[in-house]
Amino acid sequence: ALESVPDLERAMYRVIQGSPCVRLLSMQGESGCANPGRDKIVAPLQRLTKLEFKTKGAVAVLLPYSLFHSFLDKTLHDPSFAAQVAGVLVEFADNANRSVNSNPDSKFPLAEFAPYSNKTYQWNPLGTDVLQKRYNFPVYLLSPESTRGLREIAAENEARNAKYPLQVAEFDVVMQTTKSGTHTSESCLKEGSCLPLGGYSILSSFSSITSKPTLLVLAAMDSISFFRDFTPGADSPLSGLISLLVAVDALSKADGIHNATKQVVFLVCNGEAWGYLGSRRFLFELEYGGGSAFGFNMSHIDQILEIGSVGQAVENTFYGHVQDKHASASTKEIVASLKRSAESVNAQITTASSENPGIPPSSMMSFVQKSDSLTGVLLEEFDTSFKNKFYHSLFDNADNLNPESIVAASSIVARAIYQLAMGDSSAKLDSVAVNSSLVKDLISCLLTPDPGMNCPLVTGFITPAQPVPNHYVGVVTGAPSPTPSDDLLDDTTRFIWNFLADRTRRLDAGECSKDCKGQDQVCVGATGQGRGSCVVSTTRYVPAYSTRLRYKSGNWELLPVGSGDFMDSIDPVWTESFWKSLTLRVYQQERPSLNGMLLLAGCSVTVASAVSILATRALFRKRLKSA
Amino acid sequence: MTVASGVGYTLIALGPGFSLFFLSIVSKPLLILTLLASTLVWLASLVALAIVWRGFLPLGSSDWICLPLLASSVALQEFLRVHFWRTFKKVESSLNGVAVRISKPPLRPSEKIEIAIALGFGHGLAHSIMFCLSLLTPAFGPGTFYLRSCPQMPFFLVISLISLGFLLIHTFSMVIFFKGYEDHNSGLRFFVPAMHAVASSLTLVNLVQNGCVIGTPLVMLCAALTLFVCGKSLWQKGD
Repeated sequence: ALESVPDLERAMYRVIQGSPCVRLLSMQGESGCANPGRDKIVAPLQRLTKLEFKTKGAVAVLLPYSLFHSFLDKTLHDPSFAAQVAGVLVEFADNANRSVNSNPDSKFPLAEFAPYSNKTYQWNPLGTDVLQKRYNFPVYLLSPESTRGLREIAAENEARNAKYPLQVAEFDVVMQTTKSGTHTSESCLKEGSCLPLGGYSILSSFSSITSKPTLLVLAAMDSISFFRDFTPGADSPLSGLISLLVAVDALSKADGIHNATKQVVFLVCNGEAWGYLGSRRFLFELEYGGGSAFGFNMSHIDQILEIGSVGQAVENTFYGHVQDKHASASTKEIVASLKRSAESVNAQITTASSENPGIPPSSMMSFVQKSDSLTGVLLEEFDTSFKNKFYHSLFDNADNLNPESIVAASSIVARAIYQLAMGDSSAKLDSVAVNSSLVKDLISCLLTPDPGMNCPLVTGFITPAQPVPNHYVGVVTGAPSPTPSDDLLDDTTRFIWNFLADRTRRLDAGECSKDCKGQDQVCVGATGQGRGSCVVSTTRYVPAYSTRLRYKSGNWELLPVGSGDFMDSIDPVWTESFWKSLTLRVYQQERPSLNGMLLLAGCSVTVASAVSILATRALFRKRLKSA
Repeated sequence: MTVASGVGYTLIALGPGFSLFFLSIVSKPLLILTLLASTLVWLASLVALAIVWRGFLPLGSSDWICLPLLASSVALQEFLRVHFWRTFKKVESSLNGVAVRISKPPLRPSEKIEIAIALGFGHGLAHSIMFCLSLLTPAFGPGTFYLRSCPQMPFFLVISLISLGFLLIHTFSMVIFFKGYEDHNSGLRFFVPAMHAVASSLTLVNLVQNGCVIGTPLVMLCAALTLFVCGKSLWQKGD
């Protein structure tokens, strides 16, 4: 029941909850979605069950998820079809109704970065290639409640047979880059209408880092999807991240890990999905930041082990990928350790097929491209093409994972690292035991909406800003620095730093609330539920953003391509536009002519009453005078 | 429904009011004051009623609650109307006293009618302010609204038409009422509260599914009838 004018307005103008797709820019141009101009877009709502319109004229399309990717594809290839699309509202689909055609990326993601010439190899054969394309209309992913509501509204319109008064959808997804006319990263950065994508990677080690032969262990922490606020990335790549965290946890309890022969450095890379931003920026700082930047330099990296997607291994069989010409004694040693570890936990390691053109899309590509001396092994659940049917899709969530697979991968990785670090191939592997309930906890914290980041494991370290975890890297806020303040970091980044600092700590040194005074001391859990603890640990943030950018006095500058740096020359330098607000609402609209008629009616009533008053007055005056 | 329709609805509800104000009232300061005072008094009466009824919140969702609401509102206002007459007589005699002292003529019959119209217009204006104007503000936006019980007419149109109806009824009821006292015509005196009660009850027809198609025109019919009775009663004086 309506009890006030604000109630009436709420009943008239229904604000719809949803996740928008926003405007992204690169060196080449625009991608993503937005209102085409500066104005709101209004169009009648129509639900489509096949890829054709029932009426002429612009339509706000309500679409079941199963049609979404083929719909987008049609707008890219059929201009007359695209011309009728005012905006798109995608119905929410839960796991029970997930469609296989939901893998939006290309068939070879980030092919340009591959260190081999076969750029048409299909690592991702199910990819529908609708992801980094330019759409000239706004697109929203609806919440489950909004989906139900909008289906009813669309049915009302249908019952009216597209005759007014109709329910219309009003989209306000106006982007700053559209308003300022800047359509590439270069122009928008100069104008200040956008910000570069990026964040922070985390580097950690069990001992202080010196110039020793080093085993670098990598995993990526960010993913990509069509909707920035709905980026789960469970199997790709969070399963690898979880394996790394669980392996660190297991190793923290193993004998002698703090005095290992070979130095082990863990690097959790961020921004990898957007052109390997984290790994490239790490290598850049390693090369040009001076030895003091990290305590070692590139020549000390002896071996690299990267953990890719490991959440869907079949019968605990994993594949070791090596870039051909980089196979060497060190990579063979890695593979041998992996195989020995796998045997000890009833799993299997197979070297990837020689028919593959090289390594699949991975942070390893940055290292391979950088130098021939950087060599390593990439651990994946697949051999010749992705196993993950829902790669970079909304459905790559916790249900897309097999926890046993991640437990197996963590055990293999932890034990292999132990052998390589101790330099002893007969090291007692049984002393390295993985905590399988930690795997389940990390999955529930990082990959489920409830409890999500409010789980005890996370809240013990930080107070999360968003309870529902999301793994889109976002934009670089503020000036990049090795010691960013907490408000510039997202929850996942802060959590990983705290977790690694806690697990790799060598010594406890009292309580803290913000900073610790001792050498190499960091404050862990300062923003969590209890008080923080000062610990001696080598854990730090590494900025992750394009190596073609430099931040200088509040502005982002695009640097010229360094000579001989291949990856710089193909870097799209992704940026995200600013916007004022993103809103979607639905209301009923009269046919335009009715508004004019009402105005006319009002004027007529006023004029007619004026005339009547004058006439009546004249009449009565005569009448009363004659009385 | 855009600014055009918002203005349209406002003119439907208040257009005759604007015309009446600018053609008859604005030129005479006495009438402006009368109008202001009347509006305030009638608004106060509605607010007093609201304060009393607030004690009974929440009222529940049954439509039958409208009956005691309407009955109490009509009763209070008709009770107040008698006092308007009495106050008018007092003001009339003191104004006439002043006129005698400064050797000016007493109030002419046409002037007394104008004062009655101003008093009634105050009543109609108070009604519009209380029941119509704030409800029309969303009409200036891009959306429209239809009640489930009335898919034939936009909600704002129903509001404006009923408000127009009552503006006319209240304005001219005061004239009829005063005429009833002047001419000792109890029929006219009885007509006014009866019309008020009938018109108010007719708005309840809108509660029924599709009732607005019948209820709203009937309220307009009441307004027309009031105008007719008013005109007839004034015309007869000439005989």
